[in-house]
Amino acid sequence: MKNSLYDKYGGFSSISRIVMALYDRLLDDDDVGPFFDDVDLPKLIDHQTKFISALMGGPASFSDGHIQRAHAHMIVSDAHFDQLKSLVRETLEEFEIEPEDIEAVLGEFEVRRHLLVGTGHVD
Amino acid sequence: MSIEAINEQLLRAIGVGVALFDMETLEARFRNDTFIEWFGPADRAGGLLDLFPGLDVDALRDVLAVGGRHTAETSFKMRRRTMTVAMEFNRAGGEGERIAVLVCQNITRIKELESMIDSYSVMVERNTREIKREKEQVEKLLLDMMPRGAYEEYKSSGIVAPRLFEPVSVLALDFVGFDALLAAHDPGVVVSELNDIYGAFDRIGEQFGCERTRTHGDSYVAVSGVPDPSAEHAVAVANAAVRYLRYLRQRNQSHPIQWNARVGLATGAVVGSVVGVQRYIYDVFGPAVTEALALRGGAEPMSILTEATLAELLDESFDAVSAGDGDAVVLTERLAAAPGARNFGL
Repeated sequence: MKNSLYDKYGGFSSISRIVMALYDRLLDDDDVGPFFDDVDLPKLIDHQTKFISALMGGPASFSDGHIQRAHAHMIVSDAHFDQLKSLVRETLEEFEIEPEDIEAVLGEFEVRRHLLVGTGHVD
Repeated sequence: MSIEAINEQLLRAIGVGVALFDMETLEARFRNDTFIEWFGPADRAGGLLDLFPGLDVDALRDVLAVGGRHTAETSFKMRRRTMTVAMEFNRAGGEGERIAVLVCQNITRIKELESMIDSYSVMVERNTREIKREKEQVEKLLLDMMPRGAYEEYKSSGIVAPRLFEPVSVLALDFVGFDALLAAHDPGVVVSELNDIYGAFDRIGEQFGCERTRTHGDSYVAVSGVPDPSAEHAVAVANAAVRYLRYLRQRNQSHPIQWNARVGLATGAVVGSVVGVQRYIYDVFGPAVTEALALRGGAEPMSILTEATLAELLDESFDAVSAGDGDAVVLTERLAAAPGARNFGL
């Protein structure tokens, strides 16, 4: 069960550290960082918190439609998606999440690739 | 290296932004490395208002003049990260000088964590609301399936222990020629009318202290005295029964499908319990139910058949006439309604 990942790693007190660590990595990364240039802080943190909570089976869930709408204004390439995925992997490894759980999280992430990549348009 | 030199080097290197401003000219006299990293290179205009256009300089001067301190917050972008810095001004220097010391603490992380907690709280609160709503729906469903007392027992222990209720009265009703009705009319219409009728029966029963326990097709069973004992259990089912028939007679005058019920009433003991592990349902069964079903089977269309023992428990609002068949009596309402009899608009 996905739900157990969130509980298994200590609920929000642990997940919050993962959220902040991923947030730091994303902002410092020159490939995916620019996507967040014009996003204000509360919105970005809100997104990150829900993103990690959802991937780990916590109290958040995104519908496919919601994910598509949130990224509709961005042009996301496969390379961006891969980079994001590897940042998520590095972050989870840093927090000693077990390898099979990391694969499970990344698997959840991967199935949503089509929602982000190649669907964006320039307004 | 002199002490002063070491101090200055330390001051430059610490992770806190420090600057000294001349309060006459508002120009910076000193900025350490962290301050410069946050607020611009050393050659940039160093005026206090250039750096912090929103700062209330008059208020700052007033506070510093009396030896107080002034605090403010400022935000800026640094490599796409929104930085938040808490500023604190204190007065320094001797009598002749008006120097303000500005100490800047980086509180970006605190702000980020605050945002995260806000986000998480909203998520959790929304989830809590959803869980509460679902719980209410489940509770409503279970209360439709069992009496509140049984539900409370089920909630605390996960089971409903069978209980004997005595004395109680049972009302059993069905419709004459129901299969023929189904064959002759659109089943959707028949079931929809049956729903209306059962809904009306439920409302009438509730007014008289009867509770429906089950329906099975055209069979409708209600009981009085379960789970809360009632001294008026027999009167309750008799009152409900005559109103059911009155309701049907009135309804039949204005509807093409004629619903002719027969009713059996019996008093005695029943067992109440939740039956089944899955798809469970609260049900009552036992001698009084069996007897009521048997009496119903012997009743003429649009009549109520009961036993003498139940009829003896009733008041003068009812007439009981022997059915000429053992103990059974036909029950009717006495037409001159008893004083105080309630009119339920039927």
